[in-house]
Amino acid sequence: MNKFRENPIRRSLFYLVILIIVIYLLFPFYWALNSSLKSESQLSMTPATFVPRDPQTNEIDFYLTNYEGVFASDKFVRGLFNSLVVATSTTILALTAGSFAAFALGKLRFKGKTPSLYIILAMTMFPQVTVLSGLYAIINALNLGARFSMILTYMLFTLPFTTWVLTAFFRELPIEIMQSAQVDGATPFQTFRLILLPLTAPALVTTGLLSFIAAWNEYLFALTFTTIDPAARTVPVAIQYFSGQFARQEPFGEIMAAAVVVTVPIVVLVLIFQRRIVAGLTAGAVKG
Amino acid sequence: MAKGSSDLSKNEQKLAYRLLIPAFLILIIIAVYPLGQVFYASFTDKEFASSEQTNFIGLENYDKLLSLTIKELPPKINEETGEPIIDEETGKVEYESPIRVLPRKPYLYRPLNEFNIFGNRYVIGSADTDFINSLWNTIIFTVASVFLETLLGLGIALVVNSEFKGRGVMRAVMLVPWAVITVVSARMWEWMFEPSRIGFFNMLFEKFGFSSGNTAFLSMSEYQLPSLIAVDVWKTTPFMALLILAGLQLIPNELYEAAEVDGANKIRQFFTITLPLLKPSLAVALIFRTLDALRVFDVFQVMLAQKRYSMASYNYFQLISARNMGMASAIGVIIFILIFAFAVLYIKMLGVETE
Amino acid sequence: MKRSLTILLVLGLLFTMSFNALAQDDVELTIAGGSVGIELELTKKAARMFEEKHPGVTVNVLSTPDLANDRLGLYLQFFEAESPKVDVYQIDVIWPGDLAQHFLDLYEYGAEDVVDDHFQAIVENNTVDGELVAMPWFTDAGLLYYRTDLLEKYDLEVPETWEELERAAKTIQTGERAAGNQDFWGYVWQGNAYEGLTCDALEWVYSNGGGTIVNKDKEITINNEKAIEAVNMAADWVGHISPPGVTGLVEESTRKMFEAGNAAFMRNWPYAYSLGNEPEKVISGKFDVAPLPAGDSGNGAATLGGWNLAASKYSNHPEWAAKLALFMAGPEVQKLRATEGSFNPTIKSLYEDEDVLEANPFFGKLYDVFVNAVARPSTQTAPKYNQTSELFFQSVHSVLTGEEDAETAFAYLELDLQDLLGYEIAE
Repeated sequence: MNKFRENPIRRSLFYLVILIIVIYLLFPFYWALNSSLKSESQLSMTPATFVPRDPQTNEIDFYLTNYEGVFASDKFVRGLFNSLVVATSTTILALTAGSFAAFALGKLRFKGKTPSLYIILAMTMFPQVTVLSGLYAIINALNLGARFSMILTYMLFTLPFTTWVLTAFFRELPIEIMQSAQVDGATPFQTFRLILLPLTAPALVTTGLLSFIAAWNEYLFALTFTTIDPAARTVPVAIQYFSGQFARQEPFGEIMAAAVVVTVPIVVLVLIFQRRIVAGLTAGAVKG
Repeated sequence: MAKGSSDLSKNEQKLAYRLLIPAFLILIIIAVYPLGQVFYASFTDKEFASSEQTNFIGLENYDKLLSLTIKELPPKINEETGEPIIDEETGKVEYESPIRVLPRKPYLYRPLNEFNIFGNRYVIGSADTDFINSLWNTIIFTVASVFLETLLGLGIALVVNSEFKGRGVMRAVMLVPWAVITVVSARMWEWMFEPSRIGFFNMLFEKFGFSSGNTAFLSMSEYQLPSLIAVDVWKTTPFMALLILAGLQLIPNELYEAAEVDGANKIRQFFTITLPLLKPSLAVALIFRTLDALRVFDVFQVMLAQKRYSMASYNYFQLISARNMGMASAIGVIIFILIFAFAVLYIKMLGVETE
Repeated sequence: MKRSLTILLVLGLLFTMSFNALAQDDVELTIAGGSVGIELELTKKAARMFEEKHPGVTVNVLSTPDLANDRLGLYLQFFEAESPKVDVYQIDVIWPGDLAQHFLDLYEYGAEDVVDDHFQAIVENNTVDGELVAMPWFTDAGLLYYRTDLLEKYDLEVPETWEELERAAKTIQTGERAAGNQDFWGYVWQGNAYEGLTCDALEWVYSNGGGTIVNKDKEITINNEKAIEAVNMAADWVGHISPPGVTGLVEESTRKMFEAGNAAFMRNWPYAYSLGNEPEKVISGKFDVAPLPAGDSGNGAATLGGWNLAASKYSNHPEWAAKLALFMAGPEVQKLRATEGSFNPTIKSLYEDEDVLEANPFFGKLYDVFVNAVARPSTQTAPKYNQTSELFFQSVHSVLTGEEDAETAFAYLELDLQDLLGYEIAE
C-alpha cells in the first residue's frame, strides 16, 4: 500500500478513476437537482441546459418556487416522518429476527437447516404484485393500522435478505471463538449477544442500511395500504400524489425537488454510519 | 460424558428452534395465506373485483401462457407459373404470412419469431406472445444487469476499500443512487431519455453529432432494454458494491502483508486471496440481486408501461387491466418456479453451504 | 310529588331520545376523487356545500393518484374487498362498462329527472343494460391547438381537413427551420403506446369514416379500408411533420413542446389552454383552439374524455351516496367547477351561462365539438374494454413505429378482438 502512495502517476490515475466513478454515480442526481431549479418554461427549453437559464435571455436563472411548494406542503413533511418510522421499525425487526435465525442457522447444530433456509428464501421469490391482494385481505381481516401493515409486509423482502447475509457472516466466524467462550462458561445466547454480534457489526450495519433503504423505497404496498389513511402515507406515495394545479398536469420541477429533499437524509444517515462498518473489525479479535 | 454431550446438543437444538421462532412467526402471518392464495387462484379463472363465479380450471392458465407451436411457412406461389414468387428488390423468396398458417383453436397463436433452416422458413407461434416476450425480456434484463452490476460493484468496492482521503465521503456518495427512491429515479431517467432535445441524452448526442436529437429511446425496441438496463445498473450497483465491500473488510490485512512478503503482485493477490475469501458474500449478493432482477417491476412499469413487459409488470397489467386474477396468479407461480430454479442453481454452483 | 316528577323526567328523557332518533343519524360519506390541486379544492368546496344543505352528514374527500392505472388498481382493491369505506367514486368515462356491477343504478334514486340536462352521448355511455351507473361530471374532448401568429406569418387558414393540416404544417415547419429553429415540428400529438393513443387514433379513424373499432351492435368493424387509410396517414407524419419521437409522446410532453414554441399544431385536451396562456409562457396569447380536421367523412372527430360519479353498491348508506353523486353532478357544483377550475361541464345549459363563458371563452365556440364527441367503445366491449383498447393501441403503435404494415396489423387486430370478445365481424 505504501509503495502505491509514493508513485505519483499511479496516484493520479487512481484519483481519475475515483472521479469517473463519482461522476457516474452522481450525475443523474445532479440532473434532478438541475431540473428541480427550473420552472416549466425552463424545463421545456431546447437544447436542455446544464444550469437553469432564462428561456429568453439565456442568463443563469434559478427558480426556487418548486422547493417552496415542497416544504409548504405538510403532506410531504408527514410523509418523511412516516417513512422514517416505517423504515426504522422494519430494519430493527428484520435485523432482530434475522440475526437470531442467522445465529441458529450459522453456528448451531440442528436438524432441518437447509429446508429452513430455503423456506425463508422462498418468501421473497414472488413479485410484490402477485401477493398484493392476498396481503391486503390479511391486513383488512386483522384490522392492522396502515403503518404497522407496512412494517410487517416489508418483512417479505427484508427478512430473507438479512437472514441469509448474516448467516453467511456468522458461518465465517471461526468456531474457536464460540468454543473458548463456552469453556469460559458462557451460555450460547450470551456468546451470541456479547461476542458474535459485535464481530458481525459490518454485516449488521450493511444489511441494516440496505434494508432501511429498501423499505424507504417501497411503493406498491405503501400505495395500497395507505389509501384510506392519508396520514400514514410514506414519501414515495406522497411524491406520486404531487400534482399540479390542473388535471393531467405533472409538476415535474416539484417532483424533482421532492426527490432531492428526500435523498439528503439518507446520504446523511450513511455518512454517520459508514464509520461503523470499519469500527467493528478493529475491535474484534479475528486471528487466523 | 456421553450423556452430557447429548444434553448439550439437545440444548443446542432447542435453542436453535427458539431462535427461529420470530422469523417463522412472521412468515406464518404474512406469507402463508397470500402465497397459498396465489397457488390456488392459478388453477381457477378468478376475476379480480368481480362477482362472476370462480371455476376450477386446472392447468388451463398455464397451458395458455406456455403453449408454443412451430409451423412451416410455405412460399407464396405464383398461380400462373406454379413457381415461388420472388421479391424483385431483394431477390428473396416471398413467404406466406404467418396469420394464415398458425392455428386458431384452441387458442389464437400469434407469431413470435421466424427463422430459416435448410432453405425452409418456419415460424414459432405462441398463445400468449406478451408473456413469452416478457419472459425473454426479464431474462435478458437480469443477465445483463447482474453481470454489469457485479463487475462495476466489485470495481467500486475495491477502490473504496483502499486507504485514501475522503474515503468516508466516498462511501456515502456510493449509496446515492440506491438511496434515490426507485419510482422517482425511474421518472428522472425517463426525463433524461425524453425524445427531443429537452431530454439530456438527446441533447448530448446531438451536441456531439451522434444523432439528430430526436431518438425515442423508450419507444424503439432496440433501445428499450439497454435503456432500462442502464437505469438499473446505475441504481443497484451500490447494493452490490456495499455488500462486496463488507465482505472485503472481513479479509484480514495480514494475509495481504504476508503475500507481499512472499513477492506476490497485486493481481496474483486478487485471484488467490481476495476472490476466494470473497466468495460467500459475493454468492449471497448474487443470489439476492438476481432474485430482485427477475422480479423487476418498478422500472418497467414507470418507463415502459404497456410497451414492453417484464414478467412482473405483465402480471400487474393482467391483474389491473384485464382483471384476470387466475392468469395473473399463474404468472406469479411461474416467476416463483423460475426464481427458485435460479436460486438452487446459484447455491449449487457457487458452493454455498447450507449445512 | 317526587314520584310524579321522576315520571315526568323519565318521560321527558324518552321523548327527547326518540326525537333524536327521528332526526338524521350521523352519516359519514366518503367521496374518492382527484387529488390534483384545484380539483381537490373544488371537490372539498362542493362537499361543504352538501354538508350545509344536510346537517348531520359529513363528507370526506379522499384523494387518489392521478395516474389512471394506479387509481383503477386502488378502486379494484376496494371492490374486491367489497369495502364500504368509499361511497362515491370518481370514474373515468371508459370505466362504467367494466365496473358496472359495483355501482348502484341511479335511475332508482331519481336520476331520470335530471338526466336530460346532460350531454346524451355521455349518458348513453354510462348506461349499461338499461341501468345508469354513473352521473356525468365533467367532460373532455380532443382539440386542435394552433399558433395564430404563425398562421398569420405564413398566410394560412385554420385547416379543416387532414390534407390542409399536413400542408400547413409542412410550410410552417420548413419556414421555421430555415429561420434557425431546428427543434421545430409541424404537428405534435400523443403517439405513445397507451390509452391516449387510442383516443388520437380513434379520431383519425372516425373522422375518415372508419368507424369506432367495435360498433354499437357489438360487431368488430376496425378492419376496413378507411381505417387503414387513416392510420397510414398518421404513420406518414412520423419523421416528416411530426418528430420521430412522437411515438413516445404523451399529453404533458406534447404540451411542453407546444409551449416552448416548437410546434405549429398540437392535438390535446382542453386543460392545456389555460396553462399555455400563463404570463411567463412564450406562446401566451399567441394560440387558439379549433375542432380537429375532417377526413373522408366530412366531419372532424373528437374523442370523448372526462369523468363521472358513481355510487358504490357496498356503501353503508346507499341513498345518501346516490344523493351525493347527484348533487355533485348537479348544475350548482358544475358551474362552480367551470368558473373556478375550467372544468368542462356536462350540463348543456351551462354553455350559455354568462359567468361560465366569461371565464372560458372558447367553451361557447366549441360547444358543437363537445356535443358531438365520439365515445370510445367502452360500453359495447364491457367488461373487456381495457384489453380491447390495449390490443388497438399496440396495433396502431406498431404501424407508427414501422414494425408492421397497417393491413397485417389490422387483420390480426380483428382476429384478436374476435378471440377476446367473442363478437362477430361486421360485413
